[in-house]
Amino acid sequence: MTNKRLGKVIITILGLIILLLLPLVVKNPYWQHLFIMGLVNSVLGMTFSMIFCCAGMVNLGIGAFFAIGAYASTMLVIMGNWSFWLALPLAVIITGIIALAFGFVSIRNPGVPFVLMTIIFAEIVTQMTGQIQLFGGWGGFIMIPRPDSIGPIEFKTKLPYYYLILSLFLLIVLFLKGIYTSRIGRAWKAISLSPHLAETIGINVYRYRVLAFVIASSAAGLVGSFYAHYSQTIAPASFSGFFSILVQLYPILGGINFYILGPTLGAGIMTFIPEYLRITKEIEPIITGLLLLAIIIFFPGGILGSLINFPHLRLTVISNRLKEIRAWLSIIKSR
Amino acid sequence: MTSELFFQLLINGLLIGMLYVLIVLGLDIIIRVCNILNFAHGHIYTLGAYVYWFAYVSLGLHPLLSLFLTLSLIALFGVVTYLGIFNALQNRFTPYVSFSHRMLYSAMLSVGLMMILARGIILIFGGEERGAHSIFPQLITISNVRLPVEKLIITLVSWLAMAGLFFFIYKTKMGRALRSVSSDREMSAMLGVNTTWISLVGYTLGVIFAGLAGAMVVHVYAVSSEMGSTMIFISFVVMMIGGIGSYKGTILGGIIVGQMMSFGFQFLGGLNYLAIWVLFMMVIIFRPGGLLGEALD
Repeated sequence: MTNKRLGKVIITILGLIILLLLPLVVKNPYWQHLFIMGLVNSVLGMTFSMIFCCAGMVNLGIGAFFAIGAYASTMLVIMGNWSFWLALPLAVIITGIIALAFGFVSIRNPGVPFVLMTIIFAEIVTQMTGQIQLFGGWGGFIMIPRPDSIGPIEFKTKLPYYYLILSLFLLIVLFLKGIYTSRIGRAWKAISLSPHLAETIGINVYRYRVLAFVIASSAAGLVGSFYAHYSQTIAPASFSGFFSILVQLYPILGGINFYILGPTLGAGIMTFIPEYLRITKEIEPIITGLLLLAIIIFFPGGILGSLINFPHLRLTVISNRLKEIRAWLSIIKSR
Repeated sequence: MTSELFFQLLINGLLIGMLYVLIVLGLDIIIRVCNILNFAHGHIYTLGAYVYWFAYVSLGLHPLLSLFLTLSLIALFGVVTYLGIFNALQNRFTPYVSFSHRMLYSAMLSVGLMMILARGIILIFGGEERGAHSIFPQLITISNVRLPVEKLIITLVSWLAMAGLFFFIYKTKMGRALRSVSSDREMSAMLGVNTTWISLVGYTLGVIFAGLAGAMVVHVYAVSSEMGSTMIFISFVVMMIGGIGSYKGTILGGIIVGQMMSFGFQFLGGLNYLAIWVLFMMVIIFRPGGLLGEALD
């Protein structure tokens, strides 16, 4: 037990050192941009895995709350002339309130209706921001101001942005880690094992689910606010339902049962592999799609899940698949 | 609003609605029989349209022959994708896996399929908009309401396809097996139904319906590689408004959403999509199972 704990501590410290030193070693601004986007995506992936593992629900509307955070912060800064540092927490609160209102009505049906309601909610947010002129129309906002400089730190290069998102990332990770090991986290664990059983031992399943939904959506709003001021342009089309569909790839790729490490690993991979495939620009989505299919079919636990079960990972899985297909072909032939 | 405009919009809405019904019936079968939330369905519809366009315009085949070619190619596509991709997932699930877990993983797979299809269509057929001449350019005019014969024939074919589907599901032995698998997978496996074979049939049937809708749309609208991605959200909405697993409900939902598209575009312009999404929210909040269906877990 102590050995396992020591290993965890060593891995955490190593990971922290790597994350802290990464932009100092890699000076290329394009690569630094990819690191920033990787951290943004991993937070989004964490929100997905949080709702999936804690509440047992599939949320395909993360893009909506990402967009709400981005738009709230942008409109506060542009129309209200607020400072970014005040708009950031307020954007989180606005996202949380909208998530509370949406979760209040939608979580009563946590199964299939919830999945489709969230994905249609993402479309509603896209259409509303596009159609209503107050929200910038389909063109969105351009020239969103950079964050005000704090003392000597000016947000001119990628480096301060990287450390800002890294600190937000670590904040979210610490918060989630704390909440997962608390009483609330244990209640979530019970709900994820069996909602009916949890209800019989006195856990208010509905309330805990709403809580998970609000926390996860607020985290998405937080990185949304950061993203708006980092990319300095936001447009409704980039937050459509398909964006939300892609977010679910990160945790599943990394391993859905690893709340924090899984999404981070998956988001890192999914941010970098398409960039490498830019060389073969035409067929890039095809290769990404095939990769996705292969990982889900052959490595069901995600990358981390397969690595941990490595001694049990048999190559016979593949040969079994081939045998199955051959058997099916013969059955079809005989019919 | 004159009564002519009203009736014109009503008829147009009914025709659009029939198309939705055809696509959503396929989606419905797939989700009920195979527990797959098929995000690739919209792109399969696009694939059907492009294959039909290729056979009819580029190869110059007879419309019926190209329809047959399209449907058989789409069916082949369905068989290959089900056996190659979805079957592996179905075999991994134990009976205790909840419906939402099944849906999540199958949705992931279909997202991968969707990515491949979306780019594959552009690579094979090119990204431009395509269209074909109409076969029956005549118009029937009843007191200033214009009815294009083309759209009437499309409606007729949709009704025929639906009648065929209902006959298959409710009157044949395999249809009974299909219904039993959709209501309880493990129990029907225990009673000797070959669930994999039935799932394969259900998936292929669903895919063929999307392909049929795609093939028929070529003569009426312009075919573009984007049309699948808007269609998929609308078809989810139609499916949920009517109720998953209720075929009557699907027809009702298709007609409602078709009317909203037609009237909404006339009076609200670009806001009609927003109106449809909000209607969906209202229906699902107050009736989670849809208008005519029952709520799933």
